[in-house]
Amino acid sequence: MAPATAQPSAPTEAPIEVPAGGERSLRDPGWDVVVWNDPITLMSYVVLVFRRLFGYDFETATRLMLQVHHEGKAVVATQPREQAEVSVSRLHGFGLQATLGRG
Amino acid sequence: MRKRRGRIQLRLDRDERAALEMIVEQLSAKVGQVPRTVPVAYEDAEMQREYDRWVRPEVDRSRNQDLDVIRASLGSGEDVTALTEEQALAWVRGLNLLRLTAGGLLGVEDDGWDLRADETVRRSPEYRVLLALGLLQEELVAVLEG
Repeated sequence: MAPATAQPSAPTEAPIEVPAGGERSLRDPGWDVVVWNDPITLMSYVVLVFRRLFGYDFETATRLMLQVHHEGKAVVATQPREQAEVSVSRLHGFGLQATLGRG
Repeated sequence: MRKRRGRIQLRLDRDERAALEMIVEQLSAKVGQVPRTVPVAYEDAEMQREYDRWVRPEVDRSRNQDLDVIRASLGSGEDVTALTEEQALAWVRGLNLLRLTAGGLLGVEDDGWDLRADETVRRSPEYRVLLALGLLQEELVAVLEG
């Protein structure tokens, strides 16, 4: 990811609901939404995307962005499959490299 | 660039708008030719085929809409365009798509590409476009987050 400066603010777009691990259904243990590093996308933009799509606070979004940057990928949410696919498609709409797989 | 009365004021003079219009037209024609602009959701080939069939058209449609928002702003003939938050988000998404395309054409594969670029790369149009669009995108992100 390419470095950039980011400033905190509140999300204004309806965020995707991110269920906590304890709320996972027994029928659907959850699918991981994984974001992968790419060398072009700006760090500040990735933070904005995580905040807008998932409603994360600035610190959480920044921590996940840095995990993507340093480790090559990060699980940004674990959701039922249909919801995870929506999350991935919205991430694709923002131009991020995102996949989903069984959690 | 600044936020005023809930609108983001984007200031671009005639030459800047003309240059951006040309960049948008040239790079948007190459979206899809660069791997990072092709949305991959699944490792499983069958699941990916289903994604391509049912979901990808919507992703493509939203990307085209974002580029249309940029085109409309540039075509307004005004030095200052007041963007709604949704329009500003369309701008940053569209700029990211164009940057991914330019980066792919330039052969960018690893972090730190800008620090390692030699003089030949630094003189290439794709490199300059990548940096210029990045500056604009970063400024818009800062205003959206400010």
